[in-house]
Amino acid sequence: MAAGSNAATQPEEFELVITRLFDAPRALVWKAWTEPEHRVRWMGPQGFTGSIVKMDLRSGGAYRFHLRSADGADLWQQGVYREVVEPKRLVCTYVWTDAEGNPTQPETLLTLTFEDLGLKTRLTLHQVLFESVPARDSHHGGWTSSLERLAEYLAKSLS
Amino acid sequence: MTELAAPFAMSLPAVSKHLKVLERAGLIARGREAQWRPCRLEARPLKDAFNWLEHYRRFWEQSLDRLDAYLHELQVKEKKNGRRK
Repeated sequence: MAAGSNAATQPEEFELVITRLFDAPRALVWKAWTEPEHRVRWMGPQGFTGSIVKMDLRSGGAYRFHLRSADGADLWQQGVYREVVEPKRLVCTYVWTDAEGNPTQPETLLTLTFEDLGLKTRLTLHQVLFESVPARDSHHGGWTSSLERLAEYLAKSLS
Repeated sequence: MTELAAPFAMSLPAVSKHLKVLERAGLIARGREAQWRPCRLEARPLKDAFNWLEHYRRFWEQSLDRLDAYLHELQVKEKKNGRRK
């Protein structure tokens, strides 16, 4: 039982934390993140072009972005905003999808924290597997249940 | 299964039980040829689990590089406009 529940509840293994210090005041970083005309200027890696399909920036509002890589591959990002606390905190569900909106990666919860350091801003990006978040919607991913089953299997074979 | 079990100090029924669990989890695929059931490792579910984070990480790191450059550009513009006023 121990290993089985670990796979489902220990987020450490399935989370991503990136911290960046920007040489810009917090209000500007927030603006660049949340205003469509600014957002499209830096969406995606070098060479990507992006457009906003939808961006309803409020708790419960949905968003969907389209990105095209330099070599012409299409990628969509979409989700629902969970918390919008200007200018310091933004929480949303986040997943990459195909043109029809079917997820191509596991769905995640993204939490952004904008920390005011005067003329600088520290941004912390925290991304965690959706399934390990207690407030999850009815959603299931085949691969997590596979992992849970593997953990269950390992626990059994060790006992 | 006899071949798979050979290296382990485990009874055949025990190996069979473990294989069933792996099969249910989608981590192996088993054929059915009379008494002979070849097993094949299905690495994709496991590989997927460990790849998604890496995809997202690369994406964010590179996006944030661009955001950094863009913020710089915005501030240079603001300064210029400020001076003109």
